[in-house]
Amino acid sequence: METLTGLVLIFISAALINNFVLHYFVGVCPFLGVSRKIGTAFGMGCAVTFVISIAALLSWTLTYFILRPGAPLPSWVWAVAGGNPATTVDLSVLSYIVYIFVIASSVQFVEMYVRKFFPALYKSFGVYLPLITTNCAILFACLEIMKHLQDPMRLWGLHEALALAIGGGVGFTIAISLMAGIREDMDICDVPKPLKGAGIALIVAGIMAMAFMGFTGVQNGVETALSSLLR
Amino acid sequence: MLTVVTVVLAAVVLAVLAVGMGYVLGWANRKFHVAVDPKVEALLGAMPGANCGGCGYVGCSEYAEALARGEAGVTLCAPGGVSTAEQLADIMGIEVDQACPYRAVLHCSAYEHQRLQRREYFGERTCGAANLVGGTQGCAYGCLGFGDCELVCDYDAIEMVDGLCIIDYEKCVGCGACVRACPRNIISMIPFKADRMLVVVCANKDNAREVKEVCEVGCSGCALCARKGPELFSMDGGLPIIDYEAYTPDHPDLEIAREKCPKKTLVFMGKPAEPESF
Repeated sequence: METLTGLVLIFISAALINNFVLHYFVGVCPFLGVSRKIGTAFGMGCAVTFVISIAALLSWTLTYFILRPGAPLPSWVWAVAGGNPATTVDLSVLSYIVYIFVIASSVQFVEMYVRKFFPALYKSFGVYLPLITTNCAILFACLEIMKHLQDPMRLWGLHEALALAIGGGVGFTIAISLMAGIREDMDICDVPKPLKGAGIALIVAGIMAMAFMGFTGVQNGVETALSSLLR
Repeated sequence: MLTVVTVVLAAVVLAVLAVGMGYVLGWANRKFHVAVDPKVEALLGAMPGANCGGCGYVGCSEYAEALARGEAGVTLCAPGGVSTAEQLADIMGIEVDQACPYRAVLHCSAYEHQRLQRREYFGERTCGAANLVGGTQGCAYGCLGFGDCELVCDYDAIEMVDGLCIIDYEKCVGCGACVRACPRNIISMIPFKADRMLVVVCANKDNAREVKEVCEVGCSGCALCARKGPELFSMDGGLPIIDYEAYTPDHPDLEIAREKCPKKTLVFMGKPAEPESF
């Protein structure tokens, strides 16, 4: 039960409390660029959720087995080379390049696959895939997962990494859909000329970020509610 | 020792990842290859690539696909104009029958003081909002005059003069943004077969008495033009329609109809602008 509570907490935290866009301010580029219509914004959100899950799966695997300090593969090589067992090999420096590399090529692969076998799906959401290959929200999710794979005593499992990734994607979808709804209504509003376009969009994003600060501290209540519910 | 092992491991990990991913992607590229018609690529290359949507398709590539399937004509690309149409026709191996540019025309000619305003409008100063309210302006068809079209025009070709949208044909490239922006649908794209084209500058389909109540210059629907020039003009309710398919710049009916029109709602638009009428 503890695991389940933890998972739900990670999910809610990534989706609402520590929303990627509105709390960490990553992935702002598509958040502003593709939020003119609710339909396309939702499509973008789904694409990000999909890609972020794949990226989390791959980056967790690579980090767990290769990149983290004291990972199985480098430790084995170190032992074979006859090194001192007290020191550990740390390949964390490779994280950025490996993540970008893995994300970009896996997205490319998915794009090819979808284009071949689901042409209709490709038409509606394939156009977003190249846009988000090296999106910082996705890289951020990978780095966040890496952060939780540093301490050998409290390592995240794959399920926790996926909960964070899907939660982050859902949070992004919520944020971008809300933004698109507001911007659709703003089209018929009398916005002062100097603020038209990007200016008012950024102000709206800022106000939304402040509104989402209202979720701070919710995790305590959620935790209590969940533990009493699942006992 | 630690440094050496770390560096070697890093290099090996990156090399293995690169080779592995390269191999997978290369395999996928062949396995999942989607045959693209080389004609589509050639057509796409001949287009301006502005993705303006003026042709009615979503972006240039979709227009290129429709062209290659033979579903679309070669003359739809407004920003590319005649030269692009010729290139496209060349690739398709067909003749350009009439490569004429499409330009936007407004079907209303009433300045603000010529339209009946039933009461003052206090809402948002945009046509989209004013159109939702309705009833403020007498004419339910005509220009609202808040300049939604002016705002969306990227080419600075539209100016609002006394509550009426005036199009500058020296600047208009025919992207169609204003057509989509106008909530009253009174801007349309017509083929400019000559520098100046005859246009019905009224959109009110009601009968003469109702039109007269709300507008000083609206078309009364007398159908004189349709009687004098049945080849080009036909009536749709209280409004004439010009058949731009059959339209030729030197058609004799044009001048006759324009002169007979009692309300002068048949106007030549284009360049150079006609100061006395517009």
